[in-house]
Amino acid sequence: MIISVNWLKKYTSIDLPVDELVTLIGARLVEIEEVVDLGKKYEGVVIAKVVECEPLEGSDHLNVTKIDDGGVAKDVQRDEQGLVQVVCGAPNVRAGLTVAWLPPASVVPETFGDDEPFVLGARELRGVMSNGMLASAKELDLWDDHSGIIELEEDRKAGESFANIYELNDYLLDIENKSLTHRPDTFGIIGFAREVAGIMGKPFTTPQAMTLDGLTWSTKLGTLDAPKVTIDDPELSSRYQAVVLSNVNCKIPLSPLETQTYLARVGVRPHSAVVDVTNYMMMVSGQPLHAFDYDKLKAVNNGEIDIHVRAGRKDEKLVLLDGREITLTENDIVIANGDRAVALAGAMGGRDTEIDENTTNVLLESATFNLYNLRNTQMRHGIFSEAITRFTKGQPAELTTPVLAGAVDMLCVVAGADVASDVADTYPVKQEQASVSTTVDALNAALGSEFSADDIVRTLHNVEFDVTVEDDTIVVTPPYWRADIHIAEDINEEVGRLNGFETITPTLPKRDFTAVQPDRFDTVRAKIRHTLARAGANEVLTYSFVHGDLLRKVGQDPENSYRIVNSISPDLQYYRQSLTASLLNLVHPNIKAGYDSFALFELNKAHVKSDGLDNDNLPFEQDHLALVVARKNVKGAAYYEARRQLEYLGAQLGLSFTFQPITEPITGSVNAAPFEYRRSAYVFASTGEPVGIVGEFKKSVANNFKLPTYTAGFVVASAELARLTEQVKPSYTPLSRYPSTERDICFQVNQATAYADILDAVKKGLAESGLQTELSPVDFYQSESNAETKNITLRVRLTSHEKTLTADDASAVMNKMTDSVVSALGATVV
Amino acid sequence: MSTTDSVRDNLLARIKTSDTPYEVLRAPELKALAGELQSLPVEQRADAGRALNELKQSLQAAIDVRQAELLDQAVVPIDVTAPWDLNSQRPELLSTETGTQHPITVELERVIDIFTRMGFDAHESRQLDDDWNMFGALNFPEGHPARDGYDTFRTEEGFIPPAHTSTMQNRVLRADKQKLEAGGNIASISYGRVFRNEDVDATHEHTFYQVEGVFVSRDASLSQMLGTLRAFFEEYYGQKLAIRTQPGYFPFVEPGLEFMIEKPASIGGKPGEWLEMLGCGMIHPNVLTAAGIDPTEYRGFAWGGGVERMIMLKYGIEDLRHFESGKLAFLRKFA
Repeated sequence: MIISVNWLKKYTSIDLPVDELVTLIGARLVEIEEVVDLGKKYEGVVIAKVVECEPLEGSDHLNVTKIDDGGVAKDVQRDEQGLVQVVCGAPNVRAGLTVAWLPPASVVPETFGDDEPFVLGARELRGVMSNGMLASAKELDLWDDHSGIIELEEDRKAGESFANIYELNDYLLDIENKSLTHRPDTFGIIGFAREVAGIMGKPFTTPQAMTLDGLTWSTKLGTLDAPKVTIDDPELSSRYQAVVLSNVNCKIPLSPLETQTYLARVGVRPHSAVVDVTNYMMMVSGQPLHAFDYDKLKAVNNGEIDIHVRAGRKDEKLVLLDGREITLTENDIVIANGDRAVALAGAMGGRDTEIDENTTNVLLESATFNLYNLRNTQMRHGIFSEAITRFTKGQPAELTTPVLAGAVDMLCVVAGADVASDVADTYPVKQEQASVSTTVDALNAALGSEFSADDIVRTLHNVEFDVTVEDDTIVVTPPYWRADIHIAEDINEEVGRLNGFETITPTLPKRDFTAVQPDRFDTVRAKIRHTLARAGANEVLTYSFVHGDLLRKVGQDPENSYRIVNSISPDLQYYRQSLTASLLNLVHPNIKAGYDSFALFELNKAHVKSDGLDNDNLPFEQDHLALVVARKNVKGAAYYEARRQLEYLGAQLGLSFTFQPITEPITGSVNAAPFEYRRSAYVFASTGEPVGIVGEFKKSVANNFKLPTYTAGFVVASAELARLTEQVKPSYTPLSRYPSTERDICFQVNQATAYADILDAVKKGLAESGLQTELSPVDFYQSESNAETKNITLRVRLTSHEKTLTADDASAVMNKMTDSVVSALGATVV
Repeated sequence: MSTTDSVRDNLLARIKTSDTPYEVLRAPELKALAGELQSLPVEQRADAGRALNELKQSLQAAIDVRQAELLDQAVVPIDVTAPWDLNSQRPELLSTETGTQHPITVELERVIDIFTRMGFDAHESRQLDDDWNMFGALNFPEGHPARDGYDTFRTEEGFIPPAHTSTMQNRVLRADKQKLEAGGNIASISYGRVFRNEDVDATHEHTFYQVEGVFVSRDASLSQMLGTLRAFFEEYYGQKLAIRTQPGYFPFVEPGLEFMIEKPASIGGKPGEWLEMLGCGMIHPNVLTAAGIDPTEYRGFAWGGGVERMIMLKYGIEDLRHFESGKLAFLRKFA
């Protein structure tokens, strides 16, 4: 929304410099996105009289004019009478016109602020000197009319500044509308000016004509009764007023020109006086009006006026002013005459009842409509007019009367209209303003402020609230245009805001010395991040929404994803079911970018439809940690590196994992879907709880993502990791006073024998020794000539807490162990 | 059964057992079908052509499945219980020097740490929520225009990817109500991912992070809110800061404000430069009531703001899209 400072000044005096005004409005009313200095744009534009005007010889459209600029322009060539010669191509140029002259060295306002603004000069045109130019409304950047030069009022004096005369020494404030959603009153200049007065600490008085008490109607000259109006459903419209005007001149523009420039500077293009007046009243008051061609309106209903405000009907059609035919729904509100819809209420009129230059009789509507319906209408039909922007803020029903009366007055003056009928006023439930009570103490306690009763009363009086004080209690009755004031907190807001929240001294809440318990899950996740970063991995964050193709690439069914129905792109259509797909999607681009070896990990949430809903009837959220490691041009089984990362992480968290082979192809598991079962393992905590899966990916998945051969990853339930970490108990075995002995042992076993089984058998064989034992792998060997067996070398560390072990002691323990392993696994000792 | 159907069944069966399934597309039966097309009367040709296309598509899909099967057949199992592979060595971890944490989680950890020290506990927000938590519990009536400002996504089921972390407010208030009744305060922050249906460019993202806070006590006030927020930013930037406010409209607070700080010298700020950091306000009585807290006995304040902008200002990051890009070139610039 654009607010003109000069327009505000018509309703309240502002003596602050504009930068201070802008700061004050920003701090106490609304954010200003931009300030435009209009005066700069019109600097140099001079009002002039065309004294002589002769066709230019040899041209079919150019005229040579001599203009009187009152002698104000400097450094311009003048004739002996002091007139300046300007060549002009406009068809309407003629002697006697009062015009806007852009002298040499001035900038064409239309190009003001451009990278290369057009600067005028004195130059020869077909051998005739032309100084500057006579400007059209378009060149003046007022409105889009380039059919001729702008014709100013005759009584304007030559040499006066165009900007001064038309009050264009103005600043335009571009307002951030969003934070005024609840303030329909500020969408009119009067309402905005009232707030500006309020924040400057000055009392505001609403112009007499806009108050309910000071209201007068132009005298009725016609003989018509009030038009018949029925609101079919009071939910749709709280008030509908209408009056018929006759003898309306729809051919003439709005006057004076100055008023047109006010509309133009806030972005409204002038049409005819009738339309302009409705726009002008809307800009001033915030209340939109609509004008129907009365005769056309009658014609659609056999010459009768029988207006209904009703819901649209399913499949009902309406052709709008802009020529679009829309299909109505039962949620739209329409104005109908008889049975026939003639306007989309609050949004746009219908083509069939449009005002045109031959219109002489007008039915003028001033009404309010349900803002919720209009909001849907706005979205459904894509209508974002000034009117609907105001209606969707909820204009008060009381406002329709003064605005209608004001518009009628103005039309009588500027368009020669006569009031032909009584005023219809259908107003099912009168709007009443409820009072709100609070106390000085309650207000100050909530704000942490020190306002006195007088401060509060004065502040609210300034913006025309009715306030009474009885003992400690303050009773506030808001004016009719403030439908947003319901509770004491609203009064706190008004008083705090109008006086400036910056005047309140910041303090701190009191608190006790109890320590805050950091969230365990947060603490563990932080540790996971730090640990994996230390292990050389890079943390990523990737979108929660993915393309259906990405799901398919890892073997997940999009039907099992929550689907976004209004997404801007197919890339964001589905909730991801696991983090792995997102990570795999990053491998190839990073390799292409020149990174040969890396591990990526993410801690985030996944959502799977088949998991169902939780106790709050919301989709179950899984917390995951996923990691993918990849190396370009490296041979070998990447599984072991991913597993190593996971074991390292576990060790740092105090956890140890077991890795269980997967014996069958994986089906039905969302998380395990991309993993190759023959080169992956289920991960369990040492206490037996399942934690996740680690492994390499299916060849098909690798193909889909162009993964290097050496790629593996894991996905684990991070919340489960956190829970397990909390349960870790410190374990410590005292150091022995005696030295340890180490022995290596190599078993040859069948190639299918799992290392875990060998380890178990060795542990069992050592169990009865009564010694402290530690096992570590040394070597896994398979000869090229014999793929049937493999050699596993282990290092056994034996420690006694009672004595120094002799070589015989150690050998006895080792022999006993090897015997049991050999018999259990059919192994041979190498 | 039409010819097309019988050809389909026949060829699909062949694909299932073939080692070179793509060759099925060159089967003479298909060529024959294509040939017949030419001899059909013009008015039947379109339908027959469509049927042939569908047939080819279904064959291609079956071939893709079979190809994947074949690929996955040629896999050598490994001993997953072993710490490394046969004739190999224990795998090394990547160099510590390449490891990095994401700048967003670094910042979140820091924000959580400061608020924890100030007496606030912390919770991560949900990533899929409902209309009640997004709007209803926060004093946004059904159909209210203020809902438009949030550009929310929706799922088929009507769930909402949260457009602000305020979705956690009602939960936190309900969960911590007993702290109030025991004579204490509610002091809690929520942080996490939020989603807005926006076109993406250097300064707009559909996915970003927010931190939200609530404080409720018997005597909470707007001056305490200003003091608490200033204290946080002074700790965060390690210097004294001037603050400013601007009226803001959020249905869940009354009054509502935008909170600004003077741009700190540590990130290149000069006097007179202001940064809008977050929205805040006194919790609307309807929001307290919706959580079962009596607004005549307790008051509260709440605030919420974005995380990425703080990080962008800190490091001078030029493009919001980097954060979720997963580019190592970006990630490895951080510690």
